[in-house]
Amino acid sequence: MRLLNSRIIRFLVGIWLPILLIWWWWTWSADSVDPFFPPLSAIWEQFKFNWIWQYVPIHVFPSLRNLFAGYFIGIFAGVTLGALLGANPRVSRYFEPVIDFLRSIPPVATVPVFILFFGLDAQMRIAAVAVAACFPTLLSTMQGFRATDPTLLDTGKVFRLTPFQMMWKVRVPNASPIIWSGLQVSLQIAFVVTIASEILGSGFGIGAFTTISIDSFMILDAWTGVVLLGLLGFALNVIFDLVERWSLRWYIGQKKLAS
Amino acid sequence: MAIAIAVNGVSMEYKTPKGTTHVLDNVSYEVQDGHFVSIVGPSGVGKTTLLRLLTGLAQPTAGEILVRGKRISSSPDDLAVVLQDYTRSLMPWLSVEKNIALPLKNQKLTKAERKERITASLAEVGLEGAESKYPWQLSGGMQQRVSIARALAVRPSILVMDEPFASVDAQTRFDLEDLVLKVRDDFGITTLMVTHDIDEAVYLSDEIVVLQGKPAKVRDVVKVDIPFPRSQMETRNDARFADLRTHVYGMVRGLE
Repeated sequence: MRLLNSRIIRFLVGIWLPILLIWWWWTWSADSVDPFFPPLSAIWEQFKFNWIWQYVPIHVFPSLRNLFAGYFIGIFAGVTLGALLGANPRVSRYFEPVIDFLRSIPPVATVPVFILFFGLDAQMRIAAVAVAACFPTLLSTMQGFRATDPTLLDTGKVFRLTPFQMMWKVRVPNASPIIWSGLQVSLQIAFVVTIASEILGSGFGIGAFTTISIDSFMILDAWTGVVLLGLLGFALNVIFDLVERWSLRWYIGQKKLAS
Repeated sequence: MAIAIAVNGVSMEYKTPKGTTHVLDNVSYEVQDGHFVSIVGPSGVGKTTLLRLLTGLAQPTAGEILVRGKRISSSPDDLAVVLQDYTRSLMPWLSVEKNIALPLKNQKLTKAERKERITASLAEVGLEGAESKYPWQLSGGMQQRVSIARALAVRPSILVMDEPFASVDAQTRFDLEDLVLKVRDDFGITTLMVTHDIDEAVYLSDEIVVLQGKPAKVRDVVKVDIPFPRSQMETRNDARFADLRTHVYGMVRGLE
């Protein structure tokens, strides 16, 4: 009961400001005749018209496909490479300068380079997302692996665990709190690059829809695209948090007990 | 009686930037099957180094270690280990049951047999029904019991323990000491324990190996001729107990 109460209270504390802001936007814009700042009520009507569900298949699906394909390829590569490099500090020293250089390039700026390699296909967008998503996960996995407690590895050895068990039952779970923080940054970057990649040379995707709307003075449509992106990004984060918390329940429980 | 572990002329050197550190010098002794042997010595003498050699975590620079006549190059099948720091040797992301199950996965056991081993091991250490708990939800003494259960579940013929009771309170310590003696009786396991606690060594052991010096040599092997079963109240009041602990203490301190 107490748990329930505290959850309700936390929800109420979190929700009052968004409600206030929406209400303020709604009333402030209600009588607007400025073509660039239409009333929120008009945006909402147009939003329902566009996104429930008319344009979802041609704009939302391609964006989500590129996002997820790129993200999962990127984090898979990031965890694998990060594990290899993190477990072999001597090898990783040779790669670190290159990794540091590559990750310093703003991911959005690399999209034109990917166009040179892949043209304007979906492959280009997925590749750009994958590469951008790879780095935060790669770095956090390396860091997590370097911090492996030697006692834990000794325990694994004396109980004759196989290399596979050592990897997936000992080293990866041990590094997982740090890996998860990398995965979250990767998701945010992947989202940005997905949308940014659609701005160049695409007719499909939420980013493309929004840009084309602006270019053709369909301001109301552009606004609905922005609102949709906000909602989508928020939803992705909420889902991510739930999965992370489930996966790290041992870690969270331990921390809670210690405090 | 057969010999479970033979340590033959083992020396160990570490190369450091400042030169070579000579830790162990020509250490030899034999552990009889079924015996409880403690290794004591002043801190920093190389007890932990010797334990790493015994468990196959490191290789000696000279000499050899035989487990049941076979020279070891990695961790032997027949041997299980309990480490001092249970918080770092039990996996916090696995439940008690899965911690114990992890080393069993590589033995050819059916699911039912594995389950049965886990239940039996937990019962042996007095932790029935703790299967689904996480280690960090248990007290220190209970976590060390889980470590012991994990070691027992692989059905080893040799149990090696590194200061197993150093991180628990005094009451729990006595309970765990008696638990270890019970386990030895129930399974006839040859037990080797590294400890800095001389009273504990005398209370538990058939034999005490005293390491002394830099590099460390075997100073003496003391036979503990106090009959089993032993009890915390009586054995520790025994005149023989006092004699032995004084004798061993003197050697560890370099007074004898």
